[in-house]
Amino acid sequence: MSYIGSHILDRELKKGSAELLILSLVEDRPRHGYEIGQLIELRSRGVLHFNVGSLYPLLYRLENRGWIRGRWVEKPGQRRRRYYRLTAAGEKVLAAQRNNWRDFVQAITRVTGVAHA
Amino acid sequence: MPDFKDKIRARLADLKLSPARENEIIEELSQHLEDQYEQLITRGATEDEAYQTALLDLNQSDLLEPELRRIERRVHHEPLGMGADRKSHLLGDLWQDLRYGLRMLLKNPGFTAVAVIALALGIGANSAIFSVVNTVLLRPLPYKNPERLVMVWEDNSKQGFPRDTPSPANFMDWRDQNHVFESAAALVEISFNLTGAGDPERIDGQRVSASLFSLLGVEPQLGRAFRAEEDQPGGNHVVIISHGLWQRRFGSDPGIVGKPINLNGESFTVVGVMPRTFQFPTRRDQLWVPIAFNAKEAGERGNHYLEVIARMKPGVTLQQAQAEMTTIATRLQQQYPETNTSIGAVVTPLHEHVVGDIKPALLVLLGAVAFVLLIACANVANLLLARAAVRQKEIALRLALGAGRARLIRQFLTESVLLAALGGGVGLLLAVVGLNVLKRFIPPNISQAHAIAIDAKVLIFTVLVSLVTGLIFGLAPATQAANFNLNDTLKESGRDSAAGSRGNRIRGLLVISEVAVSFILLIGAGLLINSFLHLRNVDPGFRAERALTMKIVLPETRYADKEQRGIFYRELIRRVETLPGVISAAVATNLPLTETGNSVGVSIEGRADPAPDRVPIVITRIISPRYFETMGIPLLKGRAFAEEDKAESPAVVVLSETTARKFWPGEDALGKHIKIGPTNSPNRWLTVVGVVKDVRQFELVVEPKPQMYLPFTQANFFEPRALVVKTNLEPLSLAATVRKTVWEIDKDQPVSDIASMENIVSESVARQRFSMLLLGIFAGLALVLAAVGIYGVMSYSVAQRTREIGIRMALGAQRADVLKLTIGQGLKLVVTGVAFGLAAAVIMTRLMSSLLFGVSATDPMTFVTISFVLVSVAVLASYIPALRATRVDPMFALRYQ
Repeated sequence: MSYIGSHILDRELKKGSAELLILSLVEDRPRHGYEIGQLIELRSRGVLHFNVGSLYPLLYRLENRGWIRGRWVEKPGQRRRRYYRLTAAGEKVLAAQRNNWRDFVQAITRVTGVAHA
Repeated sequence: MPDFKDKIRARLADLKLSPARENEIIEELSQHLEDQYEQLITRGATEDEAYQTALLDLNQSDLLEPELRRIERRVHHEPLGMGADRKSHLLGDLWQDLRYGLRMLLKNPGFTAVAVIALALGIGANSAIFSVVNTVLLRPLPYKNPERLVMVWEDNSKQGFPRDTPSPANFMDWRDQNHVFESAAALVEISFNLTGAGDPERIDGQRVSASLFSLLGVEPQLGRAFRAEEDQPGGNHVVIISHGLWQRRFGSDPGIVGKPINLNGESFTVVGVMPRTFQFPTRRDQLWVPIAFNAKEAGERGNHYLEVIARMKPGVTLQQAQAEMTTIATRLQQQYPETNTSIGAVVTPLHEHVVGDIKPALLVLLGAVAFVLLIACANVANLLLARAAVRQKEIALRLALGAGRARLIRQFLTESVLLAALGGGVGLLLAVVGLNVLKRFIPPNISQAHAIAIDAKVLIFTVLVSLVTGLIFGLAPATQAANFNLNDTLKESGRDSAAGSRGNRIRGLLVISEVAVSFILLIGAGLLINSFLHLRNVDPGFRAERALTMKIVLPETRYADKEQRGIFYRELIRRVETLPGVISAAVATNLPLTETGNSVGVSIEGRADPAPDRVPIVITRIISPRYFETMGIPLLKGRAFAEEDKAESPAVVVLSETTARKFWPGEDALGKHIKIGPTNSPNRWLTVVGVVKDVRQFELVVEPKPQMYLPFTQANFFEPRALVVKTNLEPLSLAATVRKTVWEIDKDQPVSDIASMENIVSESVARQRFSMLLLGIFAGLALVLAAVGIYGVMSYSVAQRTREIGIRMALGAQRADVLKLTIGQGLKLVVTGVAFGLAAAVIMTRLMSSLLFGVSATDPMTFVTISFVLVSVAVLASYIPALRATRVDPMFALRYQ
């Protein structure tokens, strides 16, 4: 991966897609911030990386809108961590954003013809 | 492990988050960085590399602060938490409002003091009067099921006695024939000379039916109530004494029951002691003996002297009881036409009888203090409005920062309720002090007067009044704040804004209502003062100055016949008249204004006996020779009595002028004859030898009724019991000497009710003085408050119009013009207020017509005078601010803002 490529993706795509990424990741179970950051990097094979300064404001904003809900959880032998889970409102937003994203990607594909044959 | 917390904290420092939230974010972010650090280490990085990489991740983004600022601020102001969280915010807000309000009040001590004083006066007056009303009118009588207790009267309206005291025979028929009462009891006043152990003493008490105590549902504290057999002649030498008498005279002797005491020279056995709180019918009564009618009394139908109390059966209404009694009375009319023609029966609640005629006065006073409080409210509302104008900047700022209007209203109301609570607290203190003063003016014959105090009910009343007060006077400023136009205020100075002119309108309305309400109060007070002056100017028919009076009742057991009593009186008068400083002395049955009763029916020589209900009734006084000169009653015609009018001399009588005129209109009464009883009765004919001026015998407010005087040597029914001494000294300074003189003649003879005649007169108008004094005080208070209110509004308005006035003066307006303008503005408000007050007063003063004497409820003099007083005060109150307006320096005013 080139630094520039990743940087551009960072700036342009994160804006529209970051919310979708996070909502998807807490869909099946609650996760804490570090785990979310790790999963994004892992599943995007290192293409996407959120640093601390942008990940957490994002989480707080989503929480603020009532789409996810954070809660401090203490597990035996560990420090307490803040786990975020999807709320009912968040589920609806996630469904809508997925559809939008699919439409968007299909539109891009049709225009650029980059698609798999 | 390196510490990232400080690095994070440094980046968050500018955000000024709440400490708790800041710590949370730091904890979460540092955990993230630590996790990253550890992962880098496990992948083989050096500690320093790992630390630098993690730090880079934190520092790479400059979005952290702006993002957080946007999100967290909003979190702070609009908490997402719903439901359960809301309540804690309400409470939290309240606490915040309270603290804020308290700070605002402390910051303006002058404003706070004025407001609290005004409210304290209003609330204190309300609490004080309410505690009187509570005790006297509201508290149930201290008897079992008191709502079922009634008084039963004879209705003799034909002769002017709609509630006459029943006769024994009528009472017994009522008692035996009715089906509506559980029981009925009769009582009649009696007093005894209590002798043995200590000074002889006159004790007031009652002869009562044996059933009285069980009827009331009160048990003696010691011993027992009377038995039925003790209510028979011969078995009645038993007595129940009051707690007070037991303590005072018998040293609270626990073994008193069964012991004999000496009453009127006879031995009575004490069978009971009543509880401390028991008083019946009045506090004066200290002992009770069985009424035990003898055969003669039991047959009396034409002598009316009992009081009758009855307990209605459960479920019987007053109307049912009245209907039944009317039926019985009608039957008795047919059965005994001689005595019972046109005599009905009236049933009235005991409570009404006990509360008596103080009720209208108390209700008027309660209304008056409510008015005073309203005026105080208007004043404080004015102050708050003026202050709200000053606080426009603060309100604008808070609105701009996102405070909701509802929240602002709440803040304002919290402040005013806080103010009212302070006022209520101080007011309660004032009420405690005021009540102690008030008690001295409460007429002594008011039931329960001694029990008046601030109790739980009064406290609750005060708290409620304070709360409501705070809401009332807080509402105007609060709604004004809520309707506040943010843009106008930010654009302009706020001085000329729409909110300002609406504020002026509200302030104007408040002044108008203040003036109207104080006008009503002043009219009420004016009418009462006028009545009282009339009352004091009533000619009672005698001269009260420098006359000493006392009661000396000779017991029949010691002075069995008229001869002995005559010897005592003559000796007493002779000895008293030799005392230094004494001009003359006399005895009489009843002194004016002390007791009612002693009236007889008479017949006139040469005229047929009228129908039983048309017999002329004449108040009769039995007197010694120099009574008229001692009492200062002017002799109009003929002569007074003299030593020569002995028992065996021709029977004589002196009439009052009204009697003489009524009996022989246009003729000379002297030498004419009347007789007590019908013409064919065995009584002697009495020759009229003199005519004296009318005396107001019963009450100053009652027009004199027919009255006559008989010499004590010749009359053999009523006995003299009062001594009156005319002196050139201070009357009461003579009391001890006179009493000693009595004891020189008979060491066992009690003397009681020592008073100067002036005292008796002034006591007889105690109720009127009480109402007049209080209403006068409250009206004065209202006037002062209203004046302060007008002054405040005018000062504020002048301050607001400084610039306008400056321009006018710069354009050539003279001081007189400015004065006219400013005072005119105040006058307009006041005259409008007076007009409204006038209209309301015409209606409202009618409610107090029963308290008035000699003036009509719409007395034009009072209305004109009060209007004049109020307008003058108002002009004065607006003159001072107006004067200030004329001193405005045009240059300063123009530059000013």
